Amino acid sequence: MRRRLTGMAIASVLLAGCSVGTVRSQEATCDAPSGAFPVLVAQAVPSAVLLPCIRVFPAGWSYGGSDVRSGRSRFWLDSDRAGIHAVEVELTERCSVAGMSNVTASSRELGVLVYLEPITFRPYTADRVFVFHGGCVTYRYRFGDAEHAPILASEADEALTFVRRSVLVDLAQSDLGLTLCGAEAPPCVGED
Amino acid sequence: MVAYFVSVLIGALLFPSLESLFERFDNRRLLWIAELRTPRLTGAMELVNALALSWTIRVLRWGTIAVLIYFRRWRHLVVFLGAIIVTEFLAYDLSILIRRPRAYGVTILADWQGFSMPSRPMAGLAITLIGMAYCLVVPGRQRFQMKWVIAGILFVLAAARLYLAVDHPTDAAFGAIFGVTVGVVAFRWFAPADVFPVSYGRGKAAHLDVGGRRGEAIVAAVGRQLDLEVLDLKPVGLEGSGGSTPLRLRVAGDDGRPDGYLFAKLYAQSHVRADRWYKLGRTILYGALEDEARFTSVRRFVEYEDYTLRLLQDLDLPSPEPFGVVEITPEREYMIVMEFFDGAVEISEAEVDDAVIDQGLRLIQRMWDGGLAHRDIKPANLMVRDGQLKLIDVFFVQVRPSPWRQAVDLANMMLVLALRTDADRVYERAKAFFSEDELAEAFAAARGVASPTQLRNHVKRDGRDLLARFREMAPEREPVAIQRWSIRRVLLTAGVAFGLFLAASIVVSNWTVFA
Repeated sequence: MRRRLTGMAIASVLLAGCSVGTVRSQEATCDAPSGAFPVLVAQAVPSAVLLPCIRVFPAGWSYGGSDVRSGRSRFWLDSDRAGIHAVEVELTERCSVAGMSNVTASSRELGVLVYLEPITFRPYTADRVFVFHGGCVTYRYRFGDAEHAPILASEADEALTFVRRSVLVDLAQSDLGLTLCGAEAPPCVGED
Repeated sequence: MVAYFVSVLIGALLFPSLESLFERFDNRRLLWIAELRTPRLTGAMELVNALALSWTIRVLRWGTIAVLIYFRRWRHLVVFLGAIIVTEFLAYDLSILIRRPRAYGVTILADWQGFSMPSRPMAGLAITLIGMAYCLVVPGRQRFQMKWVIAGILFVLAAARLYLAVDHPTDAAFGAIFGVTVGVVAFRWFAPADVFPVSYGRGKAAHLDVGGRRGEAIVAAVGRQLDLEVLDLKPVGLEGSGGSTPLRLRVAGDDGRPDGYLFAKLYAQSHVRADRWYKLGRTILYGALEDEARFTSVRRFVEYEDYTLRLLQDLDLPSPEPFGVVEITPEREYMIVMEFFDGAVEISEAEVDDAVIDQGLRLIQRMWDGGLAHRDIKPANLMVRDGQLKLIDVFFVQVRPSPWRQAVDLANMMLVLALRTDADRVYERAKAFFSEDELAEAFAAARGVASPTQLRNHVKRDGRDLLARFREMAPEREPVAIQRWSIRRVLLTAGVAFGLFLAASIVVSNWTVFA
């Protein structure tokens, strides 16, 4: 009887693991702004008016994982050609852009400044930094395949975009009647 | 409380509208608490929250692991590590499954990581403290008090985390209850206190505590099943016994006879498991040297020993008279009762003359003639009373053993006898019982594992190279190889190696839990 129970417990743990994997693979997509993950990202850096998310998965790309904690949020993508953890996206309140080139387009979409770190080859490494009000997002490209790096980087760029924090603030208010305090929202209770 | 959390969890997963109700309710509590914030109180709460820091938990875990290694409480160590890994793993997966963000509408004043429910720091501290209570604190009043202290610590920590708004009320409660539940279930199932007691004496893990309720049960069972009144029971010879709990029972006299003593051996499931591991270890290290078939239950254990006692009695060998088997807890604990050689001393403390030497050699000869091997000839199992040699602990007796095993019995007996005399004298006497060829085979077979640990230790302490001296006197003979290879041994070794690799991988892949 005890063995049967132990077997059932192990099976349920494994099943839970499967469903956890399924849930996680979609967590950072932009089409789920009311989901818990974008809210958690918004809570990690409450000052940021923009939050990174995944628009679409180009062929051969998949979701790698995430690490969200107070003050910092990261998620990364795997690629069947560029390898695992090929692109990492990190949101912080501030970041240093010293030594980087300003490659901001003249349109300055959403008021974002874009910086690029000098690229190195073999392995291919490049950092692109997006600076905006209250936050900073860094894309870190790390490709084993340097030959096809420009194509891979372009695919990754196509996959990634931003969602406005205000969208999440509005959804929290309308769905839950709660305030996602921080940027573009009423002030929090218990501020120092 | 557990049912409440399970119902909340299922309700929130199945009915999203319940989730928002629940979210609003929980957040409102945090908003109330946040209104109470003052700079001084915030400082105090931040200090309390240090209990949930990964460094605090890490120090507690490593400290406990160090103590468990020092006291060689391997069972507790494995359960402690397993419970921590399961708690951390499940708490993380549950948090991903439940996917609850941090508190809305309130400033969070402490560092956090990942989703909020269950509170992983609360679960981590709870499993660590409960593990410490079960691994380090002696069962009884002290452990009971320790559990209240743990409850107090968890309550204060939960209050601090709510004040800092890093957890919702249900996150903190769920985390604490989850950690405590995993710990209690793990230790009660896999390291029950009555089988794996925590004590700070020098006793072996195999020895069960025979005080308290178990002691009362033994007295009652012996009275009911053997019709003997036990006046007193006391553990004896613990240092020489690793596979059972040996006891001396003082029983009331009958029909004008004075009170007397009986010897008893208490067996439990843990002994069956230990025997299984012992045999598995031998099979891997040496192959199927002899019968390594495992016992399937405690009942089979005592039935076999009862049978061997009766067999030796039938052959009129100087071994204890059996009094029967006593059932303490059906299928879990049994005790075998036999004659106690009152006044007998271990051969290593007795005077050994030619008569005793001859008795020892004749004992082996008669076992050979009866188609038996004792398989555990060592000083602790040979007693001398009034110049008469007695053989005890017949659990390992094997019927129709291999000639190799019988030869080893002879060599071990001669070594024991030589420890109290000298090799030349024993060898001379042995020639009257055995041929030179048999003696040569005995010392060609007696190598390494063939001799019990106690005997090897005595020989080492003695200083004389008794084995070499015996071999010098015996005709030259090639050493008998004790390695036996078979497909079963290869598969078993591969299986165990894979299991160890898997266990190591689990620990390494969860290393962040400890490091």
